[in-house]
Amino acid sequence: MKIVGKKFPRKAISVLFVGLNRLISAFLAIFLVCSLAGCGPPSGSGAASPALKTFHFAMDQAPTTLDPVQGANIYANFVIVNAYDTLYSYQYLARPYLLKPNLAVDFPTVSADGLIYTFRLKKGVRFIDDPCFPGGRGREVVAEDFIYSIKRQFDPENQPQGAWLWQGRITGLDEWKAAGSDYAQPVSGLRAIDEHTLEIRLTRPYPQLTATLAQGYSALVPREAVEKYGKGLGVRPVGSGPFRLVSYDTARVVMERNPNYRQEPVDLAAEGYNPATQKFSGVEAIQGRSPPFIDRLEFNFINESSASWSSFTKGDEVQLTVLPIEQIDRVLASKRPVTLRPEYAAKYHVYGGLEAGFVFTAFNMDYPEFGYNPDPERERRNQALRCAMLKGYDWEARNHSWYFGLGEYFPGIIVPASPEFDPALSRASVTRDVAGARKLLKDNGWTPDNLPTIVYGTTAGTTERLFFEQFRAWMRDIGFPRAKVVQKTYANFGDISRAWKRSQLPLVAKGWGLDYPDAENTLQLFYGPNASPGSNDANWKNPEYDRLYEESSVLQPSPERTALYHRMNQIVLDDCVAITGISRTRIYLWHKNVIAVPDREILGGFWLKYVDLKPEPANIPALVKGG
Amino acid sequence: MNAVTLPLTAPNRASGESLWHKAARKFGRDRLGMLALGVVLAYFLVALGAWLGWWAGGWADLTGTKWEPVSSAHWFGTNIIGQDIFDRAVFSTATAFEVGLSVALAATFIGAVFGAFAGFFVGSWIDEFLLWCMGVLDAIPFYLFVAAVAYALTDNPWAMQVAMIATFWVGTGRLIRGEVIKLRGMEYVEAAHSIGVSELAIIFRHILPNTGHILLVQASITFVSAIKAEVILSFLGLGIKDGMSWGLMIDESTKEVLAGFYNNFLAASLLMFGLVMAFNAVADALQDALDPRKVG
Repeated sequence: MKIVGKKFPRKAISVLFVGLNRLISAFLAIFLVCSLAGCGPPSGSGAASPALKTFHFAMDQAPTTLDPVQGANIYANFVIVNAYDTLYSYQYLARPYLLKPNLAVDFPTVSADGLIYTFRLKKGVRFIDDPCFPGGRGREVVAEDFIYSIKRQFDPENQPQGAWLWQGRITGLDEWKAAGSDYAQPVSGLRAIDEHTLEIRLTRPYPQLTATLAQGYSALVPREAVEKYGKGLGVRPVGSGPFRLVSYDTARVVMERNPNYRQEPVDLAAEGYNPATQKFSGVEAIQGRSPPFIDRLEFNFINESSASWSSFTKGDEVQLTVLPIEQIDRVLASKRPVTLRPEYAAKYHVYGGLEAGFVFTAFNMDYPEFGYNPDPERERRNQALRCAMLKGYDWEARNHSWYFGLGEYFPGIIVPASPEFDPALSRASVTRDVAGARKLLKDNGWTPDNLPTIVYGTTAGTTERLFFEQFRAWMRDIGFPRAKVVQKTYANFGDISRAWKRSQLPLVAKGWGLDYPDAENTLQLFYGPNASPGSNDANWKNPEYDRLYEESSVLQPSPERTALYHRMNQIVLDDCVAITGISRTRIYLWHKNVIAVPDREILGGFWLKYVDLKPEPANIPALVKGG
Repeated sequence: MNAVTLPLTAPNRASGESLWHKAARKFGRDRLGMLALGVVLAYFLVALGAWLGWWAGGWADLTGTKWEPVSSAHWFGTNIIGQDIFDRAVFSTATAFEVGLSVALAATFIGAVFGAFAGFFVGSWIDEFLLWCMGVLDAIPFYLFVAAVAYALTDNPWAMQVAMIATFWVGTGRLIRGEVIKLRGMEYVEAAHSIGVSELAIIFRHILPNTGHILLVQASITFVSAIKAEVILSFLGLGIKDGMSWGLMIDESTKEVLAGFYNNFLAASLLMFGLVMAFNAVADALQDALDPRKVG
């Protein structure tokens, strides 16, 4: 049992502590006697409810909404997939990541031409009890809920951010939107054959469709909740996931176990368990048991990594954190493989791996200063300007400064975690060449006087300010006056994310985590029709690229498709539309009483329902013995 | 018959020496005060050099690699991205003086004018209104007020200074009000009234100059408060937007200290400590020197 309480400085209040200890001991003794003598509450009333199993963990940003229709970032998704159900999720322990049915009974049956998908939904799954339902009791989840939820992504009133996943893919859906998003009208490509059978008809083959249904965007939302709460749904999720929301603010999200969550005992083999690499985590303890195993889930949003680390090492606060880079030399015994120094290894588990994503800086081509320009000559010079900025960027220094050399920087937008990554691609675009950059600027008529002002947007924070100062120094090296590289700060990630979506920032410096293990997921970031508010924050529109994207998007994984991916990657590089990129190594540490294999890559927040906590018997004897 | 009290700027006929001369003489005899003044002047010269571009111009440049130790090339080492900590610390001295001087001058000026009006028209609606303003500003927690101003003046580099000026003038205003209430009853003011001098002229030409000793001390106290507040606000992300300050350096050091690298923290803290201590000593010495009740 875990005793919840704050630790006090021993010296300062030792006298008080002795007295308090005696008081507690006396109270416990009276309580024990009363319990044995039967003077407690009537049996069956839960005389002393057992301590709640609460898992606290730290994330670096807070979500700005919990509505799946706007769940555009990993922070929102972590909560959404635990409050709502998606048709598919990922096997908890399988690496590389593998899809598995979640609310769906099994994988869909697909017609021979790849255009018709049929899904079967589990029966008897209920939404949580909520006043939005008649009598306050959650009703059963049905296929119509899925159709309604996807329609919401195509209703402009919701300011949806996930439509890009299905735009132009599902028959009749774009037309439904064009006709005014009337929910009473059907969509020809979305049909509920019966309450538990769903049919999706596609305009063209979409091999990633099933993977998109493991996204928080596709989470099943009950219509009753939307009609009752409207925009309030963003702070009051009503789903059928393993947890239900207790509270939500910018400091933390607290969720509690959904008591009506379906009983599905864990089969570790089916979850991809690998004893050789995962036995240390103790996950064998959850074999055959039905999640969730914890009573409360507490997401603590701590922007500063040092604060997160302090909370983690304190012992009785957050139990899982990402290792702050400034602690790497102090905590790790070795970087490859990642191992802890003995004093940390005694207390914590560790896991380190290259992220399934990358960090990059895209040029917003909507800005005529360096993007599209009505004057073709200026547009040509703008391309040279962008290419010069690429040459001036110092990936080696960035990796050394911020990732202790643990990151992997690479050319283009196909990340190392993608099966289609090309290790043989020329590294010229990630090799600093200041002289080449200066020459390029000079040859194209750029001088310190006529260079445009570059606005570099970041969230507020020390690290972000230093990112900016580093970037500004690199740009100064290639000829930018200091006053022409300026920082614009946003209070939090949600604010800057909105600015990207509204095309309000000329430079988009961001990270992207793969939604599914397929390079298509990063290539779509530059697909023309995905322009803002879609995922193409660069607002780049290249006909050849778009054509290749459309051609590849209907192909199953194959060398032919990979070749198309590589050509698209090269077009991005040639047009210098982004300074890209680096995949960071993320190192997780968690307390040894936590049974988990944490992840924030493709798996997202799905693993949280499998977290369990070992009992901590040491706390009780300590109190009882005191005095 | 009331005793005649002479204005402070008039020569003290008994000793034949004005208050200012006497104060200068007293200050000159205060060895700690003189030493502190020397330190402040040294800081000022450092700031002046940074303003004129004589040194610390490379505070934003990447002149080394990550966390270099102290060396002849980098006297205080380098930070996480390879910037020279000495240059940044020196440049921050200029920032401290910019903030300190601008806030001290503006807040003292506003405090003097509003305080003088409130005191001169004591009991009138002007006095009531100004007292109400002072009360309201005193009631708002300073850092919340700064945050609100910073939000209202989004991206304005002067947001922090505006917030400081808007609150720091109150203390000066109250002191000047009290002093002016005392002065307005003096015979030389009544004499000015009787010969038809306008009220504004009485305030600005005859009364305010006689509060100079208070204003000087208040300005020095405000200067120190502004520097300290700037460091705290910059640390909290509400201060300097584009530039460098000791507060930002201390903010940077929060991560570095955890990694065992203390150069940023020590450089900024010690330099700030030196200036604040010296200026406090100067303010104390000024207060002693200008206090007519103290024998010297």
